[in-house]
Amino acid sequence: MEKSGSVDSLGSKPSSRQPSVDSLSSTSTSRSDRSAQAKPPSVLSSDSVSTSAEFSPELRVKPKATAKKAHRDSDKEEPQLLPNETVQDMAPDITYFCPFTGALRGTVMVTNYRLFFKSMDKDPAFMLDLPLGVVSRVEKIGNTSSRADSSYGVVCKDMRILRFSHKQVDDTLKKSIFEVLMKFAFPVSNGLQIFAFEYGQVFPENGWKVYDPISEYKRQGIPNESWRITKVNDHFELCDTYPSTLVVPVNIPDEELKRVAAFRAKGRIPVLSWIHPESQATVTRCSQPTVGVNGKRSKEDEKYLQAIMDANAQSHKLFIFDARPSVNAAANKMKGGGYESEDAYQNAELVFLDIHNIHVMRESLRKLKDLVYPNIEDSHWLSNLESTHWLEHIKLILAGALRIADKVESGKTSVVVHCSDGWDRTAQLTSLSLLMLDGYYRTIRGFEVLLEKEWLSFGHRFQQRIGHGDKNHSDADRSPVFIQFIDCVWQLTRQFPAAFEFNEYFLVTILDHLYSCLFGTFLCNSEQQRLKEEIPKRTVSVWSYINSQLEEFTNPMYVNYSNQVLFPVISLRHLELWSGYYIRWNPRMKPQEPIHQRHKELLAKRAELQKRVNELQREVTNRSASSSSERAGSPTRSITPVQTFV
Amino acid sequence: PERMLSQSSIGARSRDVFGLRCLPGECVLQRTVMVRKKLTAREGRGWLSGTLFCTHFRVAFVPQDSPKADDNADPILLGDHDIALASIEKVVAVGPNRTKLVTPNSSLKFTPEELVLYCRDMRVMCFLFDRLTPDAQVIEITYTIAKTYQPLKPGSVLAFQNAALGSVEMKQFLSNRRRDSHMNWFESASDWEQELERCGATSWRVSSVNDRFEMSNSLSKFIVVPQKVLDTELKKSFAHFNEGRIPRWCWRHPRGSDLLRMSSFQNNIYHEKDDIRNLEMVLFGCQSSLCVVVELGDELPSPADIQLAHSRLRALCLGDISSSVSVPDDKWLSTLEGTHWLDYIRSCLRKASEVSCLLRSGHLTVALQEVEDRDMSCVVSSLVQVMCDPHYRTQHGFQGLVQKEWVMAGHRFYSRINYHRESDKEESPVFLLFLDCVWHLWFQFPSRFQLTDDFLLALHDGVHLPLFSTFLSNCQRERCKRSQNVGQLYTPVNGWRDMLGPDSSSDTSDPPLPPVWDWALQYSRERRDGFVQPVAPMPPLQLLQNGNLNTNLDTHRLADAGPGSVFLLSRGAFTCPANLPPWRSGGSGAYRKSHRRALSCENVPGLERLLKAWALTELPQNTATASGSKGPLDPYEPLLPLLMGPCMSLWRECYLRGALHAQAFSHPVSANRPHPVDRLAQEVQQLRDQLTQLSPRAAPDSLTMTSDPRRPDTNLNQSTNNSTFLYSALRPKSTPPPTSTNQHTSRGPPSASAPPPRPTRDGPKHSFLFGHSAVAETRSDPRYHPPPGATKLPKSNGSSLTS
Repeated sequence: MEKSGSVDSLGSKPSSRQPSVDSLSSTSTSRSDRSAQAKPPSVLSSDSVSTSAEFSPELRVKPKATAKKAHRDSDKEEPQLLPNETVQDMAPDITYFCPFTGALRGTVMVTNYRLFFKSMDKDPAFMLDLPLGVVSRVEKIGNTSSRADSSYGVVCKDMRILRFSHKQVDDTLKKSIFEVLMKFAFPVSNGLQIFAFEYGQVFPENGWKVYDPISEYKRQGIPNESWRITKVNDHFELCDTYPSTLVVPVNIPDEELKRVAAFRAKGRIPVLSWIHPESQATVTRCSQPTVGVNGKRSKEDEKYLQAIMDANAQSHKLFIFDARPSVNAAANKMKGGGYESEDAYQNAELVFLDIHNIHVMRESLRKLKDLVYPNIEDSHWLSNLESTHWLEHIKLILAGALRIADKVESGKTSVVVHCSDGWDRTAQLTSLSLLMLDGYYRTIRGFEVLLEKEWLSFGHRFQQRIGHGDKNHSDADRSPVFIQFIDCVWQLTRQFPAAFEFNEYFLVTILDHLYSCLFGTFLCNSEQQRLKEEIPKRTVSVWSYINSQLEEFTNPMYVNYSNQVLFPVISLRHLELWSGYYIRWNPRMKPQEPIHQRHKELLAKRAELQKRVNELQREVTNRSASSSSERAGSPTRSITPVQTFV
Repeated sequence: PERMLSQSSIGARSRDVFGLRCLPGECVLQRTVMVRKKLTAREGRGWLSGTLFCTHFRVAFVPQDSPKADDNADPILLGDHDIALASIEKVVAVGPNRTKLVTPNSSLKFTPEELVLYCRDMRVMCFLFDRLTPDAQVIEITYTIAKTYQPLKPGSVLAFQNAALGSVEMKQFLSNRRRDSHMNWFESASDWEQELERCGATSWRVSSVNDRFEMSNSLSKFIVVPQKVLDTELKKSFAHFNEGRIPRWCWRHPRGSDLLRMSSFQNNIYHEKDDIRNLEMVLFGCQSSLCVVVELGDELPSPADIQLAHSRLRALCLGDISSSVSVPDDKWLSTLEGTHWLDYIRSCLRKASEVSCLLRSGHLTVALQEVEDRDMSCVVSSLVQVMCDPHYRTQHGFQGLVQKEWVMAGHRFYSRINYHRESDKEESPVFLLFLDCVWHLWFQFPSRFQLTDDFLLALHDGVHLPLFSTFLSNCQRERCKRSQNVGQLYTPVNGWRDMLGPDSSSDTSDPPLPPVWDWALQYSRERRDGFVQPVAPMPPLQLLQNGNLNTNLDTHRLADAGPGSVFLLSRGAFTCPANLPPWRSGGSGAYRKSHRRALSCENVPGLERLLKAWALTELPQNTATASGSKGPLDPYEPLLPLLMGPCMSLWRECYLRGALHAQAFSHPVSANRPHPVDRLAQEVQQLRDQLTQLSPRAAPDSLTMTSDPRRPDTNLNQSTNNSTFLYSALRPKSTPPPTSTNQHTSRGPPSASAPPPRPTRDGPKHSFLFGHSAVAETRSDPRYHPPPGATKLPKSNGSSLTS
């Protein structure tokens, strides 16, 4: 078996798999599965060396044989470039200070998509493959005297900090490769284009077609007698951060919507996210009311919320969940915002969910980063983890989502969810409660729809929060809101391992491509901007990539409990740090046993046995046909194919 | 005496009383109808309706519509929803606005809506009373439980034992029970010889020099010593060790290293020249070159540390609603850290990993030394064996290991568990710490274990039930004494004896106590099936041949080690002690002049390399090479756990079982929905059944009798990867016929016959995947394998399927 047989294998660890579209062209997926099983050691050894290179979103498009061949003489091999990826600079004699294995000497290559480091110091070769989108900032370390080596720290958005150094270049005219890196890592700041616009890969699936609002609302049974689809925002005139398709109560005409929009911050009026198929209780989302210091009121807004309540015959109450701590909500009055007073909104009950703002979350994750990379202090690990408050924030978000889901499911009461602008905490809360309430969103496609709907179409400001291609790393608008949401989803999958069609690798992949700038999905801040930039035309959707190789992302143990509502246990005692994401760069954290591999094996075994049963059954049928008299007496046991739930 | 509702009639094996299946002689003291029991997350959450009973032995709960038990079945002490009175630690009544700790003397001023029982094994049972529950019954049962459960003290333990096992029928039943012959009990000389043979330790012998416990009180009758040491020589060594616990053999690594354990040296004993020679012979065992003494005192927690940590952990995890102090959720992590429980587990696992790595290098002797050699050396020696020897990761192997390293080695279970509350100062859950360490290994390597966490949990709970001979003595000597005295020495103190019928009171002997390993006394068939993974991990491909597994680890060989070097490993560093053993100053000269060469530190780097190798194996590249990129997994490659902070997890299924605050918003879930893995396993089994039905020439009848150990259907599975034990019950056909057939077959995985898959398992457990298919697998085995030489199934052979 060749040393680097990992190219076409499915790999054995979720974090180490190199996504491969080869399996699509392969006629027998089960065989490639098997070959993968047969060689985990080599997979392990080759990629454990490239400890920090696990995430490589390369898509092998060559036919299998060539890919293999190319890899066989991997000594000379450079990374396979993506379509339209071009080498910008190369530099030998670079030292990479790996915090786990020590200093390594090798070559650095910078393309318009990635940084690639390769060292032959180790056998097999050590490789580091980093999409430039992951780079948060590049800093020059140490003194500038010409004698000394120049050192650079590459701070990454995915928890890593990579340190390199190279000899001072004699030719002062020649730029350091890290200056080239900076240019291409921050294309937006340098007047260049984000790589997603150049990447021309064609996939069998088209991810831009995953979400169609009309059919999603139709799935929910909308329009119905209480709710209608309005086109009032078709040209984003009502609200430029909302999607063009909105669902509102039937008896509120479009004209009134505009007056409601005037009262809600940024014009983000309450619109329907989800409706309970039986009780008709709804989850609606919006931004804060512009109450201000003087306690301004809006008749239209009050009437509008009443209409939302009236649309649900089961309950004579409406719950308004304000995601913020009450102090912050009150403070917002000074800035013209605020919250619904219960005087003005009769029959409505206001609940504050105490979730902190984007700045608190950013600071919390920064502390976590310091804690887990590169080294972990064992003796105070738990109290250090506690002092980041990261899990506490996760808990508050999940607890809020649980309260929403419980009100809707058990209380049969409609809820309105908002924070300040209604695009950060609100998106977290609605999408998590929808995951609990509706099994459809727990499928792979359903989850994609959920993200497209609650996050992308409703204007979570991905560009601002992540800062794609922008060198301004200290921008106060950056915040790990979406990462936090994915973490919450992971916590749910831990508590309900059979309830989700996707696996952990799916979640990690989404987060990796949140930064990679390979796909257009997470670019821009709103639907309007995406249309303006023609994102769907000019870029590839990450769902195209994922849906073209679903077996990689499928949880083999998925059971479709479609009507089951999930009520997770919300207690720090039952939450865990997602070390498979946050600490994945540490080679000592590798999971000891790839459990999903065993799940797959069992499924393969079942498929194999099923095949045998079918074969034998055919044979029996043939035989009994030929000697029917012999068999006539015994009642043929009906062989029903066993239930398939994957 | 208590008012008694009913007593199980004498003579019947067990009897239904109001739907409760009573033990012979068991009295139902109180019964309450229309009660709901809260189910834990593991049981599927929600609640169950049924009837609550209090007998003089247990609090029992019988769910509505539970199937009527078979009257002729053997008695089971505790049903799935029952709790023994002796396990109860606290009774708390919850009223409309208040909670009250109910003691035997307290009076209730309100009608409880909820009754919460806090148990010693960290379970919390919670019963809800309905509007429909008769108030009088609610109050009565609360009082009855509070009065009947007894805080542990000498009398109450015996009373409890009598209540459970004291009836004539039970005594008879117990005395007729046969010991499990699948496991090694390490009681007789032949048991030990069997182990020597299994390990291929040919240069060792079983000595009965301690047959009458004259050499050492706390050692077992039989100990294993080097072949070349005579008993007369041996006798002189005992005095030089604390409690006479001389170096004894525990286990031999297939690469030819031996694991020994011993207590500390007695310093001030007069010695003769020969003593030194003898001692060296014992210590070096059959190795001539190298001996490493691993001092366990420095880096491991003391029993007092463990006790403190465990009591903090208990307080933290139980979340007792009756106590005013409860840990807020946001302080959970730091409070958990503050218990140091996880630190102690880490240090035990680390020490065991170090020792495992030393042993792996081959051809040296590792002697574990502890002052008393009765606590941490039990932990470390058994952990090393679990890490290195797949046999000890099976249920029966593990049970044998506990017999060998704990029960026979004289771990003071009786004092450490402190059932009688007589030895508070000595109380320390050392064994529970060990179980948690094993759980960590299991958690990180689930597919390398045949036993499951359900088994570990059952053993954990068994420790808290003062019924088992396994845990009720401190050493073999006490155990022998007790069994001789059953029926003679003890008289019951205020036991329930008075209440029993005339038949039983005429028989005044103590009940014979069963070993904890008689699981059928405690657990139903279904529960016991969950103790093992149905598809057992791959057994070692090669039988141990004289303990000299061919190894390609020659790079590690310490061939350069001069003969007779002794090193001391302490705090991760090797030293060459000038005075080991620490003879009085005059003697050290003699020691040096003895057969040994002058001690040198030349070999320290070599040894340190071994430990360094371990430290690096935490990095996957080494694990990868270690786990054999050059072919199948080496089954004796130690399981080296990851020990970083984030890798040390809490055994939630054990410690947080009862956490009631975790049940907010829980809704009744159908408890009948099987876990997907169970379903998958069932489906695989269905398919197997269909195959058997369909394959015309392999009629089930003719297949049932097959007993060929080679299981020749392996070509079906030859393409599967050995390293993941998926189909491993099926051995590769290349396996040579076992040389010692008897032994081999008797130690094979237990063939559970036709158990139904386990009942519901809750969601958040995904790790023992194959647990279930295993049920299917074992069940199908007898029928599935064609007899040797039988014609092949039509078109069924591997090649067509695996392609």
